[in-house]
Amino acid sequence: MPKVTYIAHDGARSTVDVPVGENVMRGALYNGVDGIAGECGGAPSCATCHVYVDDAWTDRVGGPAGAAEAELLEAAACEVKPSSRLSCQIVLSDALDGLIVHLPESQY
Amino acid sequence: MNDMTTTAVADFVQDPANPRNPHLPRFCGRGNIRAHVPADLVRDSGLITSPEFLVEPHDYMAAMHTKLPPIFYSPSDYGNSWTLIKHEDCLKVLRNANDFRNLDIAPFPRPDDDYFFFIPPEIDPPHHRKYRNIVDPLFCPAGIKTLEGKIRQRAIDLIEGFVADGACEFTTAFGRPLPVAVFLDIMGLPQDMMGTFVGWCDTMIHSSDPAEVGKAFGSAIAYLKVAIAEKQANPDGGVVSLIANAEIDGRKLSEKEVFGFVCFLWIGGLDTVYATLNNIWVWLARHPERVQEIIDRPDDIDDIVEELLRRYSVTFSGRVVARDIELRGVQMKQGDRVLCCLPAANFDPEVFPNPLEVDFDRPRKTILAFTVGVHSCMGGHLARMELKIALQEWLKRIPRFSIKPGHEIKYKPGGVVGPAAVPLVW
Ligand code: HEM
Ligand code: FES
Repeated sequence: MPKVTYIAHDGARSTVDVPVGENVMRGALYNGVDGIAGECGGAPSCATCHVYVDDAWTDRVGGPAGAAEAELLEAAACEVKPSSRLSCQIVLSDALDGLIVHLPESQY
Repeated sequence: MNDMTTTAVADFVQDPANPRNPHLPRFCGRGNIRAHVPADLVRDSGLITSPEFLVEPHDYMAAMHTKLPPIFYSPSDYGNSWTLIKHEDCLKVLRNANDFRNLDIAPFPRPDDDYFFFIPPEIDPPHHRKYRNIVDPLFCPAGIKTLEGKIRQRAIDLIEGFVADGACEFTTAFGRPLPVAVFLDIMGLPQDMMGTFVGWCDTMIHSSDPAEVGKAFGSAIAYLKVAIAEKQANPDGGVVSLIANAEIDGRKLSEKEVFGFVCFLWIGGLDTVYATLNNIWVWLARHPERVQEIIDRPDDIDDIVEELLRRYSVTFSGRVVARDIELRGVQMKQGDRVLCCLPAANFDPEVFPNPLEVDFDRPRKTILAFTVGVHSCMGGHLARMELKIALQEWLKRIPRFSIKPGHEIKYKPGGVVGPAAVPLVW
């Protein structure tokens, strides 16, 4: 099962197993990793699952999945960077085993 | 006045396994306005029951932005509350579950010695997520996707049943039975309960006799209790079984938890979809050119559903102030009630310019149809799927239709906003 590492704003790391086909937002919620709210459940409609993809992974993960994600990202609470994604739109595959994402200071 | 009776809302410690009545303070009516409320902020919101509201509720809620202050205090015999209409203010309140708690959500009689919580709405973080995790795999987008074929078939069967008639009363022919059929499927309850469930729903919505409403609700409760016991004896893949056999913190859910959860799904998942469908079909019937636009843009169906949910949001989010707090310069005290008028927030012109216009190309923003924050609707993806399928299958078979000539659409007062009857012809 692919592993995902979430690095909190204060540097705390959590590495959890997330099944193929699941998304990075739900991987955090189900494993009790704080820092991702994911309140709309991945509609996407809330922008409270904002993450920064680690530099080593941006090429493999790619940019926003569509116009809705790109438009919603503008409403994210923290600074939006080129590596910003809505984590509910990043779906795990074996190619993403070892993925590292950094969490913003706040989702609100 | 009456501040002496105020129990400390912030001090109410919730133990979901041993539910007890929080005994929140109640301030009802103009004679019961608390001392800290400035007189110039006391306004009648007119929501839900006023004749002006009932003419065209959504137009009314859009106009609140020009007629009323962004935050005002509305007295009511059912409970006074700060009413919020700004998108920004609603996000702030609804995303702050510590200071704005979700307790005592329904004026539903729950005896002190046999109290139960409605789950998940009346559960605060951190317990809240544990309950949501039980059923999330089914209600998340991927889970709902597995139900698509079944929902589609239910919708097709209903439409095929009346398409040759050239007319139907939409709310009873489709708006009511579709969500009930889907609900029964998901819950793992038999479809032959359809007629009975429809009857209970109709009484609960349309009857103005509290005794009748109580009786219908009582019958539904009795039925659900038996169903829960059955699913404990013979588990299956349905939601009732999932909840009835679930564990959190290494213990099985108590009988009251199971009941409070199943019961809330029944409250939350039927009238909302019903009212949303009914509102949208009135709009479609009145705008044939926009119906054609929807037919011509099949790939944009998700954006279309999202915009229609913004334009026709049907309900509200109430919260209780747990600590004294200031919002937009307004002082709120613990024990005050706050009502977020979600449809009004979706008409906030600062966020959605030209708010009454249905525009499928609006940039995606956070809509409040399903509220925001930890208590965001658990059924949002199911609801979106039902709406999408309803639009697709209906328009495939009945692309042109209108309101029956001579019929005037009337709205029913109630916490879920929608028309009472929608007779259509094609
Ligand atoms: C268009 C249809 C629907 C609308 C507009 C809607 C709207 C809402 C809103 C506004 C809330 C928040 C209430 C509050 O803040 O107090 C909510 C919560 C909820 N809804 Fe829905 N809903 C819909 C369909 C459904 C369906 C189909 C289900 C399930 C079968 C469902 C289950 C729930 C549950 C369980 C909650 C409580 C969530 C929590 O507290 O964590 N809803 N809904
Ligand atoms: S969870 Fe809401 S946008 Fe990702």
